[in-house]
Amino acid sequence: MAKIIVVTSGKGGVGKTTSAAAISTGLALRGKKTVVIDFDVGLRNLDLIMGCERRVVYDLVNVIQGEAGLNQALIRDKRVENLFILPASQTRDKDALTQEGVAEVLDKLKEDFDYIMCDSPAGIERGAQLAMYFADEAIVVTNPEVSSVRDSDRILGLLASKTRRAEESSDPIKEHLLVTRYNPERVTSGDMLTLDDIREILAINLLGLIPESEAVLRASNQGVPVTHDISSDAGQAYSDTVSRLLGEDMPLRFHEMQRKGLLSRMFGGGRR
Amino acid sequence: MSLNVDSADVAFTFKGGMLPMTVMELNSADPEHIRRQLASKLSQSPAFFQHTPVVLNVEKLDEPHLSLERICAVCRDHKLLPVAVRGGTEPVRQSAWALGLGWFAPVDESRAQMLKSVGSDSESTAPVALADANTAEEPAQAQDSNGAETTRLYRGTVRSGQQVSASGGDLVVIGAVNAGAEVLAAGSIHVYGALRGRALAGIHGNTQAGIYCRELAAELLSVAGNYKRLEDIDSQLLGAPAEVHFTQQQLEIKPLN
Repeated sequence: MAKIIVVTSGKGGVGKTTSAAAISTGLALRGKKTVVIDFDVGLRNLDLIMGCERRVVYDLVNVIQGEAGLNQALIRDKRVENLFILPASQTRDKDALTQEGVAEVLDKLKEDFDYIMCDSPAGIERGAQLAMYFADEAIVVTNPEVSSVRDSDRILGLLASKTRRAEESSDPIKEHLLVTRYNPERVTSGDMLTLDDIREILAINLLGLIPESEAVLRASNQGVPVTHDISSDAGQAYSDTVSRLLGEDMPLRFHEMQRKGLLSRMFGGGRR
Repeated sequence: MSLNVDSADVAFTFKGGMLPMTVMELNSADPEHIRRQLASKLSQSPAFFQHTPVVLNVEKLDEPHLSLERICAVCRDHKLLPVAVRGGTEPVRQSAWALGLGWFAPVDESRAQMLKSVGSDSESTAPVALADANTAEEPAQAQDSNGAETTRLYRGTVRSGQQVSASGGDLVVIGAVNAGAEVLAAGSIHVYGALRGRALAGIHGNTQAGIYCRELAAELLSVAGNYKRLEDIDSQLLGAPAEVHFTQQQLEIKPLN
């Protein structure tokens, strides 16, 4: 039975789409048949991050409105087997999504896939609520800053009340915290919230910590999910995150300030 | 809840109720002094003076004989309706009754007095006292309907945007109340965790209610409508266990040790 995982945050720009792309890629690399759905109708981004923007013909809204079949809209990833992308429509708005339509699409996907990742739009309105409504698990993406933490807190409240599991009073959604853009230097200097601060306020299980990294920006612009860049810190951190999502016990990395070696100090080598 | 008087054909039933009530605390017994102040208040907030029932609290006055009649007349001139008097000497009590007003015992004695009134069947003790009388007589039933003693237990974090309320009694939160969340209770609020959001105790006017938390970082604290914002809280009290009460007519925040 497929697991439906929503990647959400409340606040925009914290790394939802990057994380959805990276984690989906990681799951597919481990042999899990995975589909990642862009729920950000009107502000489509996932196709760019996944590097398949030139292959989009049909989208989620077309499928929901019966203008295209699901298989016509699904885009097969070129790099990894087992990975599919269901893009959002760029020309419609979020009212084009209906709860029944989304339920139907997810039910069909459940037959074929192990993991269904829903990339939520920012905010707490219709698009975000539909992305989370049918979820079994939620990955709450949070940056180490107060506004992001508060918005994540708000989203956690909605996950506990405005979802199918909450309405049917079945087992609650399994909530995971993913801290992104973590910069240990700036945490130490007091510019950013510490990991402990975030965990204390949100009080949910930590799934992973992604350091602020040049590799992420590079990956986004190249349209290659950062999980493929296994030599980078962010790539390794996402790989750890995927392992934990699959139930493996991985020690936390990249949360402490690294002492710069003599060479890197002399040549000013940045973290990659 | 009701005190069933007899059998089937009842003309009325007594109901217990807790109503928010404006208390007018008199620092002066001089009707003209009161008139001047009321006139200036009336111009500031005319909406408040719409035949608003008030209880005249005369505890702070040290005069055995008040011109209650004139004070009441001044109030009515300004669209305040005195319904009862609180505190004062025996002559004050007698003149309150003579004017058709109820009389309440002073604040510190009030609880004991209210309970005493259960047996005495006195007409003077108005709704508030009746509610307590019922509680005393039939505690089990009181918990159900007037709910004064119904405690609500909430396990988990109260998150931003969420509101948890106990409209009939105390609220106990086992977890944190995060910034942007709101907890409300008719009685006291106990937070076994950090209190970062808004906490409003005694929402129906119970000034005896308190707020207790393991870590104080509240955006707003209120007991019976008397509130303090985070900005008003002594920063030395923040981040530590604290208790909040309404004493000496103001909100008092103390370390809880």
